[in-house]
Amino acid sequence: MRVARWVPPATLALALIGLGASIYLTIAHFTSPDVLACSSSGTINCSLVTTSAQSAFLGMPVAVLGLVWFVVMTLLCLPAAWRSENRFVHLARLAGTIAGVGFALWLVYAELFIIGAICEWCTVAHLAAFGLFAIAVVTAPDLLAREE
Amino acid sequence: MPKKKKSAGQRQRAAARRQHQDHAGPPPGTESGTAAPEGARRAPAGARPSARSRPAARGKGPARGRRGAGRRRSSSRSLSSGAVIAVVAVVGVMVILFATRKAGDTGAGNATAKAIQQVTSVPASTLEQVGAPSGGWAPVRLPAGTPAVEASGKPMVMYIGAEYCPYCAAERWPMVVALSRFGTFSGLKGTTSGPPPEVFPNTATVTFYGSSYTSDYLTFSSAETETRTNAPLQTLTSQQQQLFGTYNTQQVTGSNGAIPFVMIGNLYTWAGTSVDPGILKGKSFNQIAGVLADPNSSIAKAIDGSANGITAMICQLTGNQPTDVCSAPYIQQAQSALPAS
Repeated sequence: MRVARWVPPATLALALIGLGASIYLTIAHFTSPDVLACSSSGTINCSLVTTSAQSAFLGMPVAVLGLVWFVVMTLLCLPAAWRSENRFVHLARLAGTIAGVGFALWLVYAELFIIGAICEWCTVAHLAAFGLFAIAVVTAPDLLAREE
Repeated sequence: MPKKKKSAGQRQRAAARRQHQDHAGPPPGTESGTAAPEGARRAPAGARPSARSRPAARGKGPARGRRGAGRRRSSSRSLSSGAVIAVVAVVGVMVILFATRKAGDTGAGNATAKAIQQVTSVPASTLEQVGAPSGGWAPVRLPAGTPAVEASGKPMVMYIGAEYCPYCAAERWPMVVALSRFGTFSGLKGTTSGPPPEVFPNTATVTFYGSSYTSDYLTFSSAETETRTNAPLQTLTSQQQQLFGTYNTQQVTGSNGAIPFVMIGNLYTWAGTSVDPGILKGKSFNQIAGVLADPNSSIAKAIDGSANGITAMICQLTGNQPTDVCSAPYIQQAQSALPAS
């Protein structure tokens, strides 16, 4: 085992939690934001966030981008991927989580300072992304060094 | 095993090593010049190893490679921990700034209590300076003999709209400003009109849904039929339905059921907005509310001017009560500019 035993199941669980939230947000995007079990007034307002101008990036719904990202991360966090001898797998996981948490930071900024509301389900996805990022960067030195 | 012949470089390095031993004793990691396994040499108890005796200081070959890799890994771990801490710090700073933000920095549809108060208490001096509504708004004077529009024994002002509708969003501003001169709203909340592809998307406004209004002079009946994302919200009462069906027609308002639809008792009605939603584009609720007291603001001129027109109509409905509002010269002037039946 190249990483601590808890790492593969923990990251897989985080990726699946994020994937679930992304699926839910994507369904809401293509049906109605009112299907989200979330407050629709005040600071917690999923509808306001998911229908804001910031809910799309380069014309792509952010919910769909999140869904795609979590699908990729789920694959990269499978136990087999953690055991992989292929350096590219570990680099891809590291790069993916860095990109993901960077985008999540932008979305959190948009929620707090542009939209002025917080989406609970988006926050679940952001926390999952941050968890994956934290584990990926902490394990990366050992994983990548062994390949030297 | 045959002994390999040393190259010139190896011979030179060996000679240099012998010279070094002659002057400085055995090299690190050796006893009397004999190579010892790494870590085998022990310093005397209580003695601090000298720099020369510390293996890390002058390691050679595979040991140095392992130590170098270890150092690189250690610095990578520090970098990783730093990255995680940096992200946590950035989020922490954003949350603190959000929690301590100024009132005007909230999002488009979020209204602070202060902002709601600014809308419901625009100073009379500002309204006077702004004066009559700007052109382009054409309320209809209902013909004499139109049945009274009342509720609870008081003349009624009615608004029918929807939260997604940007024109309703624009129209609610002057309605709240005007109605607040005759009574008191409670439960008003900020929101925005519908998201794209709706025209004038996310226009900041109040919603009448969930609010109540009390007045000694009139009743206010409102309905928001859909949410900002087009989900059903409120159903019209039978009275609202009857008035909407009777007067919001091509013959009366010039529209076939368009919203917003407003009736000032049995005196005036219109379908559409008296304020261009375009002037509110990109403004948050608190930003709009914050300029309503500034007579030089183009937003205040549009909203307060329209409010003065609505106030003039309501004054006709209430028999020019209350007098402190209705006897003001600028309201009298606005009344004279209203369409005749």
